[in-house]
Amino acid sequence: MRRYTLGLGGREFVIDVQELAADRFEVVVGDQHYEVTLSADEDLDKASITPGIGSTGGSGPGQARAPAPRERAAGAPAAVTPRPARTSGGPGALAAPMPGVILELHVKAGDVVQRGQQIAVLDAMKMHNIIGAPRAGTIVEICVVAGQTVAHGDPIVRFAES
Amino acid sequence: MLDPETLGLLMQGLTHVSVQSLVMIGVSFVLFYLGIVKDYEPLLLVPIAAGCLLANLPLSPLIADDGMLRVLYNMGIVNELFPLLIFIGIGALTDFGPLLENPRLVLLGAAGQFGIFLTLLAALMFGFTRPEAASIGIIGAIDGPTSIYVSGLLAPHLLGPITVAAYSYMSLVPIILPPIMRLLTTKKERLIRMPYSQRVISRRTRILFPIVVTVLVGTLVPFATPLIGMLMLGNLMKESGAVERLTKASSNEIANTVTLFLGLAIGSTMVGTEFLKPSTLAILLLGIVAFTVDGVAGVLFAKLLNVISGGKVNPLVGAAGISAFPMAARVVQRVAHEEDFENFLLMHAMGANAAGQVASVVAGGVLLALMGAGGH
Repeated sequence: MRRYTLGLGGREFVIDVQELAADRFEVVVGDQHYEVTLSADEDLDKASITPGIGSTGGSGPGQARAPAPRERAAGAPAAVTPRPARTSGGPGALAAPMPGVILELHVKAGDVVQRGQQIAVLDAMKMHNIIGAPRAGTIVEICVVAGQTVAHGDPIVRFAES
Repeated sequence: MLDPETLGLLMQGLTHVSVQSLVMIGVSFVLFYLGIVKDYEPLLLVPIAAGCLLANLPLSPLIADDGMLRVLYNMGIVNELFPLLIFIGIGALTDFGPLLENPRLVLLGAAGQFGIFLTLLAALMFGFTRPEAASIGIIGAIDGPTSIYVSGLLAPHLLGPITVAAYSYMSLVPIILPPIMRLLTTKKERLIRMPYSQRVISRRTRILFPIVVTVLVGTLVPFATPLIGMLMLGNLMKESGAVERLTKASSNEIANTVTLFLGLAIGSTMVGTEFLKPSTLAILLLGIVAFTVDGVAGVLFAKLLNVISGGKVNPLVGAAGISAFPMAARVVQRVAHEEDFENFLLMHAMGANAAGQVASVVAGGVLLALMGAGGH
């Protein structure tokens, strides 16, 4: 569950987005509930809307990309484009799929990676999990250091806008 | 000059070598090999192998009335002390968080115990008595201490083969499970992603959980009280954080010491004449059946859950319901990851796995209740 508080035209909207599955979200605006299915997800050139505030920004699971609250309140699901990190494209972060400790990092800022290339090793429940790149691209930022504890959805690395 | 009698006394080691003991010494070598070279549950198989070797050497004083191995056996196997002590450690190492986050996984833990009851029936057909059949069936709990506990009460004479079967097959979980999982699922099913639920479990819930489970299970299945009580005691100590030293001692020093004692004592029961019977082979065979049926039942039940939930449960997770904590969950994660490197089922598998652990204990208690043994 992620909560967005948006100011729009002097009014404040509180929007809760709950990830139900990789492509389904429950969106709560005020006391209105919407079940939203995400069917496509792409970056529009120069889109300057980025969700998240502070270090957990990016596109972790359940993070919506600032949709217009007005449209959503009208129940237009197409306008709602939250997306899970696993399908993140564009200026996105590769997010931790589960809580754990980052054991190793295999990339550094500036590296160009292929889809599936090993990015990091995440120790979760004492099992070493290889975290692969969700897409090809350039790494612009490493958000963690080896030994760091991460929560579900915390960004591990960020990709350059392509 | 030595007279023949003195010579006989000096050579009695050699003259007491029997074919059976030689074979059992060979068996101990195989167990050493599996433990040391193959890395199959070495913490248990190496002490078991040592106990087996030492007990089968001619005239071994270690299994005389006050010999060390006999003392260990009387100290902790006859009265079930050792498996219970180990359970405290297991409880201190088990994280029920993933199960609390997704409580419906408890159903998978229940399904993963199906092999117990089917194997019991199969063992009856092989001509085992009811208590023996129940002890063999409990191999399907896929939990070493539970198997030792139940068979120690119902059929102590089968402890050796049952324990060896339980632990050897447990170490083979990564080999036995994946083919079953792949055979019973379609690629599409294996690709189902299950996002991590990210529910926050409060400390209060985590602390209350072991207490509530102990009271509930203890009331419903009194025969399971010793096992569930110790398992949950360990978990309570861990989750409360109040007795860190006891938690550490339970999961490290005590568990390690008891594992050594337990392995030696179990190994010492593997004496030639007792072990080298057709029944041992039958037990090894039935043990594999129990493991396989558990895995099949778990996966099939998860498929059912998947249909009911409208495609939201990856059937692979069902394989973790068999117990064998935490290995089965890791196997699930590995198989899912091989299909789709972005799919992380581990937390769900751990939940099903922890459920399987509890369900194994409950199933053990149910078996004991059915056999009318173990209580007062």
